[in-house]
Amino acid sequence: MYRYDEFDQKLVDERVAQFRGQVARRLSGELTEEEFKPLRLMNGLYLQLHAYMLRVAIPYGTLSSRQLKMLAHIARKYDKGYAHFTTRQNLQYNWPKLGDVPDILADLASVEMHAIQTSGNCIRNVTSDHFAGAAADEVDDPRVWSEIIRQWSTFHPEFSYLPRKFKIAVTAAPKDRAAIKVHDIGIVIRRDASAKLAFDVYVGGGQGRTPLVGHLIGEGIEAGDLLAYLEATMRVYNQYGRRDNLYKARIKILVHQIGANEMRCQVAAEFAEIKQHGALTLPQAEIDRINAYFLDPAFEKLPDEDLTAQRKNKAFAAWVETNVAKHKVPGYAIVTISLKPIGGIPGDASADQMDLVASLAERLSFDEIRVSHEQNLVLAHVRQRDLFELWQTLDKAGLGTANHALITDIIACPGLDYCDLANARSINIAQALSKRFADLDRQRNIGELKLKISGCINACGHHHVGHIGILGVDKKGVEYYQITLGGSGAEDASVGEILGPAFGEADVPDAIEKLVDTYLAARQPGERFLDTYRRVGIQPFREKLYAAH
Amino acid sequence: MPLIKDNAFVEDTFARVADDAALPEGAIIVSLKRFQAERDVLVPRNTPLGVRLSSDQSPEALGADVHHFALIELEFPKFKDGRGYSWARLLRQRLGYKGEVRATGDVLRDQWLFMSRVGIDSFEVRAGTRIEDFRAAMAEQTFFYQPASDGVRSVLDLRHSRPAPFALAAAQ
Amino acid sequence: MAQVLTANRLSDGEVVYLAADGAWVESFDAAKILATPADGEAALAVGQEAERNQQLVHAYLFDITPAKKPVKMREIIRAAGPTVRRDLGKQAAF
Repeated sequence: MYRYDEFDQKLVDERVAQFRGQVARRLSGELTEEEFKPLRLMNGLYLQLHAYMLRVAIPYGTLSSRQLKMLAHIARKYDKGYAHFTTRQNLQYNWPKLGDVPDILADLASVEMHAIQTSGNCIRNVTSDHFAGAAADEVDDPRVWSEIIRQWSTFHPEFSYLPRKFKIAVTAAPKDRAAIKVHDIGIVIRRDASAKLAFDVYVGGGQGRTPLVGHLIGEGIEAGDLLAYLEATMRVYNQYGRRDNLYKARIKILVHQIGANEMRCQVAAEFAEIKQHGALTLPQAEIDRINAYFLDPAFEKLPDEDLTAQRKNKAFAAWVETNVAKHKVPGYAIVTISLKPIGGIPGDASADQMDLVASLAERLSFDEIRVSHEQNLVLAHVRQRDLFELWQTLDKAGLGTANHALITDIIACPGLDYCDLANARSINIAQALSKRFADLDRQRNIGELKLKISGCINACGHHHVGHIGILGVDKKGVEYYQITLGGSGAEDASVGEILGPAFGEADVPDAIEKLVDTYLAARQPGERFLDTYRRVGIQPFREKLYAAH
Repeated sequence: MPLIKDNAFVEDTFARVADDAALPEGAIIVSLKRFQAERDVLVPRNTPLGVRLSSDQSPEALGADVHHFALIELEFPKFKDGRGYSWARLLRQRLGYKGEVRATGDVLRDQWLFMSRVGIDSFEVRAGTRIEDFRAAMAEQTFFYQPASDGVRSVLDLRHSRPAPFALAAAQ
Repeated sequence: MAQVLTANRLSDGEVVYLAADGAWVESFDAAKILATPADGEAALAVGQEAERNQQLVHAYLFDITPAKKPVKMREIIRAAGPTVRRDLGKQAAF
């Protein structure tokens, strides 16, 4: 994985010093809260319901064991012994003290990490495929390009006071595991007819109040021009994105209002100007330099393992089936570590669990951990022969739940239990549903079902792209939950459709169960919930759910 | 309001002229609207001419006239309004403007460095600002990942020993 | 409707309430009940002063029921801690 050179390190170290100064100025009164807020936000520091919250960037979701151990250390030393992995591959601490934050940032800098641009109206942490470098279907390692974009976007002087936040996701596989079509910019890397890398740039996707699927704006951009093209897109947005209305300020609204064609023309014109200037052309030497950090680890020549004997353990067999994916190299496997134990808090991990996963990665997965946007952890390069031992260790620590992509692998934002913006809780709903569908055989019979819950319209819980989405709303002080069906954040991206009137907290599990039963009754062989929904439409679900009401 | 240029306080030699006021002698700053209406009177004057652009006015509206100006003032009505950063880059890169670009309005200490990077070279600052604060803020970052409009060599250039973009342009 | 004045402490973000003696206290039960709009306005002025001298962030009033409990779920949760982690926040001390 990428390692800082002297430049990267100096930038991050200076940022710590700068923030230390900003905090001192805030505490002395030189800065008002209004002035301090954008500064702290650009360092990922929020003020939530109970305390400050610090959001740490995990660029494209890749961590070394040393980094994960530092995250665990910080959780113990400055927080309450746990942390929360988010849908943007970041990590959040829920209880830091303002005066401690510079020290936390210094600890992060010591392991080449930071909280830069994890909030604010700037380019946020670049996210990517959590199977990068291990997936058999990718044409290149998307992390190379994510890192290049990370560096270009860090402290970009022109794009740090955008109309609104800006999220970029990158994938290099036909199967989209990074939800690129619901990002401000989503990049698909492919190979053109002559096997050269070509970049398709989707612009104007996003969730939140106005969920939209991105449009293909830049087609087949060459590698050397990638940054120039991104700069062109950002400049059009910075100039013409709306600043009069917070809810209409994202780039998706601009694209929607002027149309994809006009956007394409404006970006193309700006791109031509920037290219002429030439300074942003990526030198091949830089691409090569970063590529070198993402070369394959020293895989052994191994045969694919016959796991028949171990599979007699039913729990292990179930885990292999759901949580172990095919690796590009024979004898290896990709392991998803579920952070969704039955009845647990989606995405939360204790410091001890983080330490354990770090040690396991050190020993069994070339020292590398991934964070997925589905709030799970991934060990990307595990020898198949180590799977049984790995599973046993994980299982003992509450990390062996065999539910990846099943109905209890629920995405949920922190909701009103923590978040200042939330209208309703979301974790409690996740827990209730997880318990309702706890039976593993039942879950496996239901098959892939992406259930996503947000506690407000900002949609951090990605409810718009859940096969089943749940949105918490406040009706005169009481929490209600609105259900959407048919969303997808994958390559077949779509925005879910609202089913009907919202349900009270206690009625949500029954409602979801009815929807699942409707699907089971209607499905044809091989169909997932989403497939059946797309075939039969929303009406049968609506009828079943509201018939009795 | 105090004015900083080249890391020091300087006297503001320009008079801001309202759209309906008579034109005084000496260096003046007028709005874009007034410039467009009275271009033929303003350009031949033999004193330094400045134009004030609000945050929704692109300097591209000035076209080739850009070179008549000694000063272009970019207004930041709220510190969150970042359009001026793009306008400054267009001025420096697209329009090849070499005169003074001044930031006025709601500007925070922590924005001066970014402003300088995009080509702004004079800053109206709050009363009470100390020059040491300005110098310290400008020195908070040694390296920069991306080329901008200040002629500073980016990390990319330093890593691969490429000359800075401005040097490139000068060599051509 | 009676109200209570709350804010987050600047130094650590802790939820605090204005008490009868003018102190900022961590416990909702120790908060001063502001019976009239005039009481509320007076308290808000105290809160804003505490914002100006770097003690607090965002002082505001919220409604309480006749039984002296917060009306909104948001304030119930702020007064206690996360409902999904009873071991954390103010409720952990009880």
